[in-house]
Amino acid sequence: MSHIPIHEAADIVSEVGRILLSSGATTNRVELMMRKAATCFGYGKTEAYVTPTGIFITVSDGSDKQTTSVQRIEGRRNDLGKISAISHLINRLQMESCKAESPSMSVTKLRAELYKLDNFKPWPAWFQIFSGGTTSGFFCLLFGGSWLEFAVAYLVGVLVTGAMRLAGMAKLNNFLLNALGAALVVIFAKTLDIWVPYIKIDNIIIGGIMLLAPGLSMVNAIRDTMSGDLVSGTARGVEAVFIAVAIAAGSGTMLKLWDLLGY
Amino acid sequence: MDSPFNHLTLMQFCWAFLSISGFCVRVNLRGFKIFFIAVAAGLDWAVYLIILYYTRSVLLSVFVATTLVAIYCEIVARLCKTPVSVFVTCAIIPLVPGRSLFYAMQAYISADRALASNHIADVLLIAGTISIAIAIVASITNLSMRLMNRF
Repeated sequence: MSHIPIHEAADIVSEVGRILLSSGATTNRVELMMRKAATCFGYGKTEAYVTPTGIFITVSDGSDKQTTSVQRIEGRRNDLGKISAISHLINRLQMESCKAESPSMSVTKLRAELYKLDNFKPWPAWFQIFSGGTTSGFFCLLFGGSWLEFAVAYLVGVLVTGAMRLAGMAKLNNFLLNALGAALVVIFAKTLDIWVPYIKIDNIIIGGIMLLAPGLSMVNAIRDTMSGDLVSGTARGVEAVFIAVAIAAGSGTMLKLWDLLGY
Repeated sequence: MDSPFNHLTLMQFCWAFLSISGFCVRVNLRGFKIFFIAVAAGLDWAVYLIILYYTRSVLLSVFVATTLVAIYCEIVARLCKTPVSVFVTCAIIPLVPGRSLFYAMQAYISADRALASNHIADVLLIAGTISIAIAIVASITNLSMRLMNRF
């Protein structure tokens, strides 16, 4: 296979890693996908070391030609759609490179596709905000709420998802964002409780909190630890604990404040 | 309620199904995957309720439900050509102990420390049980994949 320039390969491979890691993929998967992509470009001796906050990669073809790049990852969001889209892309690349097309053609195409995937939004924002309401509303029903409580929980979910999107633009850190979200859940639920009669507030708040619960960090921590990536496993476990503490702190503060106000 | 196989469990299945399809849209998934993930979450919650009815043990029910759903996810995710972690992450959301976390906070606010410690222990035990179940299924899958490649 004819080689593409090594800097070009390192650039694309670390871009693949950046997109995967910043949308919340497990360490094992990021390393695997980066190695696969590098092998497709003809650099079979590539080694990658990934932690939740950064990527170290050495692209090499086994001879003395090699280059190393380090990339710091800052924002991390839950974007599972992007993970499966990138996995599809890399698997397709592997299939195509088996057929040995001219690789320099596929480099520009690959860059364009990566850029398109990175900026692709499958659903409009208003629909995502309303499905936040769906999640919290049906969780309220799941934990034994009535239909009136479902309506209130739906409204709370929509309001909180919208407010979290606005707060996310301000680039708050993860802990503060979750504490703020939990506090907003309690504020909205308690405020609506004043106007709507005959509802129990518990199920509504639980429905709202399930929107924020750290399921993704928990699963990622387990899967990382099981595949032997102890550093990422520990880091993600601590992240999950901290998010849970943030949720408890945010909702607890607001409940206490509301108690003191006397409603 | 003499048997857990009735319309109430079916309704609970539907609520879990609908809430997780909302969750999938929020994390930017699209296409027919959403349907399979939501079915997984609904099964997760329904199996949990059924086992809870027969055994009266929360942790055993969480363990069995998570194990069964993790196996379902390992199979269906490979058929859909999607990463398994995407499936498992969304499917266990109904069992994540957000409820106990809130009750613990509420008990702390009303200065009932014994009840609060009870709920905190619940949070830790349920989260630990989910982790163990996922870990066991993931390791067994790895092992069987390696065996299948060898023979």
